[in-house]
Amino acid sequence: MDTLSTSFAPAGATSRLTARVASLPSADKALLALLFGAALLALVLGLVGGAVTALARAGALTFLPDDAYRILTLHGVSVFFYWLYLIQAALLLVLAAAENGRGLALRPLAWTGAALMLAGFGVSEWISATGTPLLYDGSPELAADDPRSVGVFALGYLLLSAGLVASAVCGIATVLQPRLRGEAGEFTSIGFALFAWAGFLVVSAIAATNAFLPGLLWALGAGPFPADHGTEWHILFHNLHYLPLMAAVLVWYVLSEHLTGVTSIHGPRLSKIVFAAYLVFVPPTSLYHMFLEPNLSESVRVVGSLLSLFVSVPTLAAFAIIVSSLEASARARGATGFFGWMQGLPWRNPAMANMGWAAVNMMIGITFAFVLIQEKLAPMLSDTFFVPGYFHFFAVGVLTQTFLAALMVILPALGGGSLWRPDLLRRMPAVVTIGLLIFGAAGITAGFMGVPRRVFDVGYGGMAPAAWPLLMALVGVGATIFAIAISVTVYGVVRTLLSLRPSGGQAPVVDWRTGSRGVCAVPAWTGPLSVAALIAAMYVFTIVAFQLIQSLPIIAIGGGHGH
Amino acid sequence: MSERHFTTRRGFIAALGFGAVSLYGAWAAYGAAPLPFGGHSGHKDAARETDADGHGGHGAAEGMAPEEFRFEHDFFVRKYAQKDGSVNPHADADAHGHEGDAHGGHGHADAGHGPGAATASGEPADLYLMAQKFAYSPDVLRLKAGQAYRFRMMADDITHGASIQLGSASRIIRLRPNVVTEQTITFTKPGEYLVYCTVYCGQAHDAMHGRIVVG
Amino acid sequence: MRMNEELWLVVAIAAVWAALAAVYALVPGLGMPGYVRVWGGGAVLFLGLAGVLVAVSRKAPRG
Repeated sequence: MDTLSTSFAPAGATSRLTARVASLPSADKALLALLFGAALLALVLGLVGGAVTALARAGALTFLPDDAYRILTLHGVSVFFYWLYLIQAALLLVLAAAENGRGLALRPLAWTGAALMLAGFGVSEWISATGTPLLYDGSPELAADDPRSVGVFALGYLLLSAGLVASAVCGIATVLQPRLRGEAGEFTSIGFALFAWAGFLVVSAIAATNAFLPGLLWALGAGPFPADHGTEWHILFHNLHYLPLMAAVLVWYVLSEHLTGVTSIHGPRLSKIVFAAYLVFVPPTSLYHMFLEPNLSESVRVVGSLLSLFVSVPTLAAFAIIVSSLEASARARGATGFFGWMQGLPWRNPAMANMGWAAVNMMIGITFAFVLIQEKLAPMLSDTFFVPGYFHFFAVGVLTQTFLAALMVILPALGGGSLWRPDLLRRMPAVVTIGLLIFGAAGITAGFMGVPRRVFDVGYGGMAPAAWPLLMALVGVGATIFAIAISVTVYGVVRTLLSLRPSGGQAPVVDWRTGSRGVCAVPAWTGPLSVAALIAAMYVFTIVAFQLIQSLPIIAIGGGHGH
Repeated sequence: MSERHFTTRRGFIAALGFGAVSLYGAWAAYGAAPLPFGGHSGHKDAARETDADGHGGHGAAEGMAPEEFRFEHDFFVRKYAQKDGSVNPHADADAHGHEGDAHGGHGHADAGHGPGAATASGEPADLYLMAQKFAYSPDVLRLKAGQAYRFRMMADDITHGASIQLGSASRIIRLRPNVVTEQTITFTKPGEYLVYCTVYCGQAHDAMHGRIVVG
Repeated sequence: MRMNEELWLVVAIAAVWAALAAVYALVPGLGMPGYVRVWGGGAVLFLGLAGVLVAVSRKAPRG
């Protein structure tokens, strides 16, 4: 096996990122520590809720129906809103401050944003635990006789939205500082990505306001019942999908440079185009969430199906940029094995392990996402466990692992301590992925068979197929495995956040920057092969789904719908 | 730079981003491609949806108001109710097989499409299924294999599902309140099929189910 | 004022979102006014951000 001769950065050496984070003003550090801590608390609450939900579905725990759905609500609200948005706000601010090199601009606004988001967090958690269970989409029709639950639930998300706007404005002002000082004529690729991401966060807040302000007004007696909540929710839901994915890819850019010294070999312009592509491609691809809606016109269904094919364009392009840049740099330093160049990556660093396994999970998640976006398959898969079965690869495998990787790099620099037990933490992503594979395989199979996504007892008085409870038991096993592994990582990250004691040892990084001899002259096949494997997998599972739907003892004929 | 290998060129990287679009080929092979080119003729449709005007789907029934649906549903259930609580639209096929089943001056949507007439003419027979917290009306339907039925469905209170478990997979149907959804369905095999709610609708959501018995 | 690619990209985002909002606004059969509000609001936002970029490039000290 050919191996890569790498130059490991000397122990104690700091990257540009960590040096800049370490030098932030103490007021910024305090704000960031608060936001990171709150985000981790939301993740812990969501993890507990998710694990309990999975065990209840598996039949290992029993709850009264309202309690079960309250736990499911807490899981969704905590993870999909507060963990993902709080961590995004915190990462936006810390990366913007590092980009600026002199801390945050408009600091009072950043504190105001944090206060609003934390107030929203408290309100949402409280009403989720005590009110009518509305699940994370807060559908008002579930509590038409309980305006208080609807209003308070909406208020929580609206406070979060207001805080996000404040944080995003602060982030934008911060990344503009070097230009205002005349130190830069344009953004770096990271700076531009932060600028666009912040704008997208504001749009997400607009979408949340559009979806939840009517509920609050109705609860206050100041507006009609929000009968269109389902449609408005889909817009926010779509943003909720792709905004954190853009953030995860941005974090991959940042971590790749931190862990290997490698920046894009394709130049900043292509990276900026790819980050802008998230905002260009995401809105038009949002219709596939609505394929099951009875009043969606056929023309919208057709256009939506076609556009959905483009939903992965920016993510795959960004993946290809990062992988080809790493591979070309490795080969320029002498790596010669087909995949051997990857051995030179600093896998002993838990951040690297998290990022690498996140990429694997992303490929699995995209594979099944593309089965779901076919409108003819929606009547077999939408509203089934197929949906959580595949999206946990994204939510846990990609997003959570990527953001935790960022914390493993940033928190030691922020607090002055050191990463807790890196040798243990670097093993967790593989365990998470094993758990996700069990959860996903059982969940996706259950989805193909029609198991609904939001039911605790799938027996239906003995009428359901015998495989359904068995598959749910496997879902519980998988969820338990990845929940434990994520919990270990979260524990390590929290210990790191609280740690003020620097240690001599640092998680290893490599320096491939100096090896630019002949960069790009040799092939970099890992990216194209990965995409080819992805397409092959998409074909296989799409064909399986088509074969399955054709084999059913039913001929379904549409008709009577509007055109 | 001319010495760049093509795998490290920007154009190649950008093209990789569009790689997943090639899945269109699989869609076309199954007649499910959204654009006119690719797989529309001579292929078995993805979900064997072959409505009269050339496209599948599952949409709201055009023109049927919720009030009209409720009236027709009530009439349908009353007319075909059996002693065991099930609803069997074929029970009185012999007696009521004639066309033009008008009732008290109301022009019923199933006029001319009653099961007896439908069986004879090959037209789908009209059925009405109402979903409400936390049950279906009717909750047991007795149907015949090979007969086409026009299912007219509506949620009475809040959003529900009326999905049908078919063995290896299900037909997932989402019903919005006061939106009449229409699908014409033919069961090709006899059996007992679970109908169940796939949209969370409240405390007893897990228990919301019915049956379609196909003989 | 130099029109670099950053400005063009932000303007392109605003243009795509504005076009989407216009489609949803002008085709009543789509029946989704929320899309007009969100994508239209996004278009205005990114147009504003393009304006910010222009203003910053004018205000920045020449070096």
